[in-house]
Amino acid sequence: MILSPKDKITTPQAAVIVINFILGTGLLTLPRSSTEKVQTPDAWISVILGGVITITAGLIMVKLSQQFSEKTFYQYINDIVGKWVGGLLSLVVICYFLTTSSFQIRAMAEVIRYLLLEGTPTWAIIMIFMWVGLYLIIGGINPIARLFEIILPLTVILFLVVTFMSFKIFEIDNLRPVLGEGIVPVLKGVKTTALAFSGPEIMLLLIPFMNSPKKAGKALLVGVSIPLIFYVITVVMVIGALSIDGVVLRTWPTLDLIRSFEVAGLIFERFESLLLVVWIMQIFATFTITYFAAALGLAQLSKKSIHPFMFGLLPVLYIIAMVPKNMNDLFKVGDFVGNVAMFLFGLLPLLLLIISRIKGGKKHETIT
Amino acid sequence: MKQSHSNTHPLFISLSVLLFLSLTGCWSSHEIEEQSLGIGLAFDKAKQSSIEKKLNEQGGAYSKRNLITTTYQFITPQVASSTTKQSGPQQKSYVNVSETGDSMHQMVRELSLRSEQPVTAHHMKVVVIGENLARSYKLEQLLDQNLRESELRPSCLVLISKGRASNTLETKKAGEIPAFRLAGIVENAYRTTRILPPMSHIKVESKIKSGSSFLMQKVLSADGQVKFAGAAVIDGKTHKMTGTLNEEELEGVTWITGKGKGGVVKSFDKETGQPIVYEIETMKSSIIPHVKRDSISFDVNIESVGRLSENWVVSAGTFKNEFLKNAEKSSEEEVKRLVGNVLEKMQKEYKADVAGFGNRLRIEHPKVWNKVKKDWDQRFSEAPINYDVKLTINDYGTTGGSKK
Repeated sequence: MILSPKDKITTPQAAVIVINFILGTGLLTLPRSSTEKVQTPDAWISVILGGVITITAGLIMVKLSQQFSEKTFYQYINDIVGKWVGGLLSLVVICYFLTTSSFQIRAMAEVIRYLLLEGTPTWAIIMIFMWVGLYLIIGGINPIARLFEIILPLTVILFLVVTFMSFKIFEIDNLRPVLGEGIVPVLKGVKTTALAFSGPEIMLLLIPFMNSPKKAGKALLVGVSIPLIFYVITVVMVIGALSIDGVVLRTWPTLDLIRSFEVAGLIFERFESLLLVVWIMQIFATFTITYFAAALGLAQLSKKSIHPFMFGLLPVLYIIAMVPKNMNDLFKVGDFVGNVAMFLFGLLPLLLLIISRIKGGKKHETIT
Repeated sequence: MKQSHSNTHPLFISLSVLLFLSLTGCWSSHEIEEQSLGIGLAFDKAKQSSIEKKLNEQGGAYSKRNLITTTYQFITPQVASSTTKQSGPQQKSYVNVSETGDSMHQMVRELSLRSEQPVTAHHMKVVVIGENLARSYKLEQLLDQNLRESELRPSCLVLISKGRASNTLETKKAGEIPAFRLAGIVENAYRTTRILPPMSHIKVESKIKSGSSFLMQKVLSADGQVKFAGAAVIDGKTHKMTGTLNEEELEGVTWITGKGKGGVVKSFDKETGQPIVYEIETMKSSIIPHVKRDSISFDVNIESVGRLSENWVVSAGTFKNEFLKNAEKSSEEEVKRLVGNVLEKMQKEYKADVAGFGNRLRIEHPKVWNKVKKDWDQRFSEAPINYDVKLTINDYGTTGGSKK
């Protein structure tokens, strides 16, 4: 696929894409998944550590991609490890994006079906969501970036307003003692929290689309830091209100935090719908960008136009989304996707970077 | 670029046509005029209402054990509007319906056989559990359905009633809605130390899971009137109600936790035996755990600033510091009595820590806490507790002097 000049994005846009990719299902489930592992009120420290690890992994990916700033991961991987291994790895990455995409829409459908539209069939919710997503990505990366730019400020404002209103039921004692049982429990949770930050992998594909690929590192830093702040606020507020014993019992703890208080005197008394609006927008963002990434991968792998793949993937996405039979299966898919991501984007880029450095170094020598 | 335009055009049209279809309305819409809004819920030991008995006689029963009677309080739009239009004699603005059975959800659904209006729990304000029931069933069993479903909000309050819980959902005052009355009294915590901080479903669930004993507000009822009186002690292991703290004991607990927002302390002047009333402005308490090898002890420091709000000692002049000091002293004595009284009750009678001593130990000495938390209530009942009360009278209102 030839990139038209209009298909370029600015550095802030790249950062916004990373932010919107990261914020997704995790916003509602992270307080529970992290507390389950940590078992002390220090889950928020785990979140910070997880974010730092993600930034490190992300910077490695950026360094790797910057060596081939005109190509996406799917294209340059062939240069590093050869056509066959490269093709295979590309396919794995495409599958990863597809599964993430389906996981997000299914999680979204489950929450909507349970809390908002009880009688609406899941397929009806998912399909409308997918069609709108398709409509967006047909335009390419630029419309995606611009839509994300609209979504983000709304997310930030609504989310902060709603979460800080829960201050009414916040109890600092629930967050104490800090590091009461040492650092070990905190480390246990780091894996889980790092997985909640999956998203920087989009940098592998984004750099050739950027106006100034050199600033990719900056975009990534901002792109991970803002979700990091969001996540820390979420975890602190949820644990502060529900206590660690209460958090682990709730399927969607953040939603229950908002459902646990009412504010009299304002126009609204209840704010869960606002939170859901934010969350659904974020799910939509994650869904579209992963959908686009998968379609882009297939297009570049087969060196054909991207549009047929976009349409072709639609039923595939739907089928994958409908595979999990119940909530537990769904969460298992989420864990699985996370584990795959850890190897695929935690270890692999480092390996590739080393290989490409060795190879690239030789090439440079011959040129000079 | 032109080519992609011609590609998207038919898609755009088909999409917008499809979206038109979705604009026609909500897939699963329910008209609000046709809903009956559940606002209160009471759980009691089974006792079928006369209507239920009559229905059963005619064969209106299904296979169930008659264990629990649930009473639902509704505001139906018809009832609500009829009271506003024609303020007829003693028109009730709510409807109470009872169902007996053994599953909470089945009982609700049974109601749809009795009324054309579907029940919604989105606006449920309060759940009252009868003492008899709370003593024989685990709280998490009774509240499981409430916590699981999506309609009832976790912010809905939970209370324990002394007598039958359904009686607390009755009133004789026209226009008054009993469920709102109960939820409203909880808001009065800034006026008295005898109301516990609100216990919503989510807080109850957290407490249950934490495995520590805790208190829940108790409510009495008589002749359509209610009164918040004391608290029910819920055991941390069985999650059943094991005892009651009376109003004064609850006051003591509030002083220990320091969570009170207002209220009064009445004491008697030593010389004249006349009452002196101290009104709380601020209250602060710190529980300091001390761990020495195997022994755990606590220091409780209670501090409060307030005003002299009522004084029957005619000879005294509040402009004199001397008198204020005496008043502080006697109020302190009274608070000490309240605290000592409830500590005795917690440690000796119920052997249950309901004032958050364990919580402080968890925060200050997490490692020790992990060792003792399994049989904490037992350890607590043996722990020595010292307490100190310091009250400061800041002002004495607009009357200062005395006849001299």
